[in-house]
Amino acid sequence: MTTPAPISVEGVSKRYETPSGPVPAVEGVSLTVRPREFVSLLGPSGCGKSTVLGMIGGLVRPDSGRILIDGEPVMGPNPKKVALVFQDAGLFPWRTALDNVGFGLELLGVPTARRREIALGLLEPMGLKGFEAKYPRELSGGMRQRVAIARALALDTPILLMDEPFGALDEQTRLLMGEWLVGVRRRTERTIVFVTHSLHEAIALSDRIAVMTARPGRIKDVIEVPLPYPRALDETAAVDLHAKLWAQVREESLRAMEGQS
Amino acid sequence: MRVWCWRAAVLLAALLLWEGAARMLNPILYVGPSRLPSALGRVLATRDLPPLSGHVWLTLGEITAAYALAVAGGLWVGFLLGLRKTLGRIYEPLLAALYAVPSVVWYPSLMLFLGLGPASKIAFGVLLGFFPVTLSVLAGIRQVPDTLVVVAVSMGAGRWTLFRKVMLPAMASTMVGGLRSGLALSVVGVLVGELLGARAGLGYVINYAYGLMMTAEYAALVVLVAAAVLLLDGVGSVIEGRVKRWAG
Amino acid sequence: MGRLTVFACQALSIAAALLGWEAAVRGGVVDPLFVPAPSAVLGVLAGTVPETLPRLGDTLVKTFLGYALAVCVGVPAGLVLGSRPAAHAVAMPYVVALYGIPKILILPWIALIFGIGLSTAALSAAVFAIFPVVVLVAAGTRDVDPALVTVAVSMGANRVQIARKILLPAVLPSVLTAMRVAVVFALLGALLAEMLAGNRGIGFQMQRTALAFRAPELFAITAIVSVLSISVVLFLEHLNRRLGRWR
Repeated sequence: MTTPAPISVEGVSKRYETPSGPVPAVEGVSLTVRPREFVSLLGPSGCGKSTVLGMIGGLVRPDSGRILIDGEPVMGPNPKKVALVFQDAGLFPWRTALDNVGFGLELLGVPTARRREIALGLLEPMGLKGFEAKYPRELSGGMRQRVAIARALALDTPILLMDEPFGALDEQTRLLMGEWLVGVRRRTERTIVFVTHSLHEAIALSDRIAVMTARPGRIKDVIEVPLPYPRALDETAAVDLHAKLWAQVREESLRAMEGQS
Repeated sequence: MRVWCWRAAVLLAALLLWEGAARMLNPILYVGPSRLPSALGRVLATRDLPPLSGHVWLTLGEITAAYALAVAGGLWVGFLLGLRKTLGRIYEPLLAALYAVPSVVWYPSLMLFLGLGPASKIAFGVLLGFFPVTLSVLAGIRQVPDTLVVVAVSMGAGRWTLFRKVMLPAMASTMVGGLRSGLALSVVGVLVGELLGARAGLGYVINYAYGLMMTAEYAALVVLVAAAVLLLDGVGSVIEGRVKRWAG
Repeated sequence: MGRLTVFACQALSIAAALLGWEAAVRGGVVDPLFVPAPSAVLGVLAGTVPETLPRLGDTLVKTFLGYALAVCVGVPAGLVLGSRPAAHAVAMPYVVALYGIPKILILPWIALIFGIGLSTAALSAAVFAIFPVVVLVAAGTRDVDPALVTVAVSMGANRVQIARKILLPAVLPSVLTAMRVAVVFALLGALLAEMLAGNRGIGFQMQRTALAFRAPELFAITAIVSVLSISVVLFLEHLNRRLGRWR
């Protein structure tokens, strides 16, 4: 018997109740993520990619279909297997960077000294050495996101879910963070599902890109990105891929914009 | 809908509790709600109590004068300190320090200086109502987004136009809140002044009833005044809502 | 303008005001019976201290008792109202309405029941202080960023852990602010009660000196109470800043 896929999304659907009636967010989405793979969920605003991520993370319950993590159905948050990073870094403002990173470990009852050790060990390669005693208020947007990612990494889970983590950052910082994330990934070999609406990001980071349709979100296509890291986005292969992706995504973006008018 | 039911239930329960406690303990002292309607009738028919209308008009007059002066003074000081930055830097902390003193501390001095007549009540009402107005003007000026000012200036707006068409509308929401608080506090100021030492006015009548241990009449008066104040504040709230909707 | 210049301007303004006041009294513009000259006030200042200080202590005791009551009842009430939307929707209009009613209206009633003295003043302080506490704590509790709770849930926190590690620290600034604001309200309540129906504290003394036309003494006492109040508030604000480094 082969080992089950780390993440298996099987025909999930989700509706949201709004004052003007039920709105389908996601319909019949299926996706299999292979071990140590970096998969991006790409699509226009409102296509439900965050909802899918929330379902994998056990924060949102699908109305139909199911999700399996290592063959086991998802029943709720699973801090032993799945860690999440949100677009809004979500750092606790009353805790220092160090205490933020150690939060998950604190919940598991890891002793203070060990927590500190792990947290420092994660913050240093991120270039945050010397900032561990700072409060989120004293950190820049990019630094905060790095702390948030460190906090997720601290749980040492095999799976990492990231919901547009660089969305709130400026262009330059985003590019730098993208490069840095590639480095992190090569060092840690985790399975990563990454939600984004940026084609550049998806191409630069992923092994595969799942393109989602406008609401209600379905998987339109899954595109392989067989390029070696680090990727230069001006290489022919990347440019071709970009054009192909854009053709797909543009259609959906237009549909999403029309849907909103 | 359900929320209204619960609210009504809470009110009913409170009234029943009050009535029960009053009857059990000391019906003279603890006036149960059942005694209020008849007491109200007696008050309005001016049995045993001085005729209300004169006092009511006096109090209303005092409140109007106090509020008008509080608003005028508050707006003037607020804009002076808010628009002239150097003046603001010097005097705003002094204002804040004054705000830290419980206002009632000034009242005996006002009574001494202005006597027991309406003047001291109006002065106290002005004192109380002045602060929320000033503070809201200062806060309002501070929260006008710089971008709005820059856009207007880049389109050639002069100082007065800038003030009228950009700053005032941008400040409207904050200021109307202060104007509303100012009204509430001016009312409180006048009432406190009358209760602490007066020869006429609603507060004086309340004191009169309380002094003669006419607890039921006293309670009826309190309910009347409280209802009037709430009504006034309700009107203020509606106006505030309108302004906020318009100002965005 | 540098901080020192600002400070100098403030001091100069106060000095100028005092001088102008002194001149007005000496020049006969205002009647010294009603408005004493600053010099007269200073003269009696030392004399009033022996009588004022114990009375001040008395008032402060009442204030503190009422304050403690308001905080012990108000903070939990605010937490409950803020964390349960249903309770909030039902109860809040009543809280706001009661807050809007001039509380002095019921002071005579309290005085009638509890007599002239400590209980009335303490209760009055409590009544005045409890409303801002409940309103501020409830608002602070409602304002807790739900995203932070989501983060904790995603990391497997149970309800107790969420309450202790997320809600409590998130709500603390609001609770501290409420406690800070309540002090002035409590003092206000105690003073009002003393003025209306008291026989000991500072409020009573102020009423008495006013009605006896002892103007310099009254102003001296007013000055003492004002300075005390300002100091307390400044101190609490300083504490607030030090404790809230992360905000």
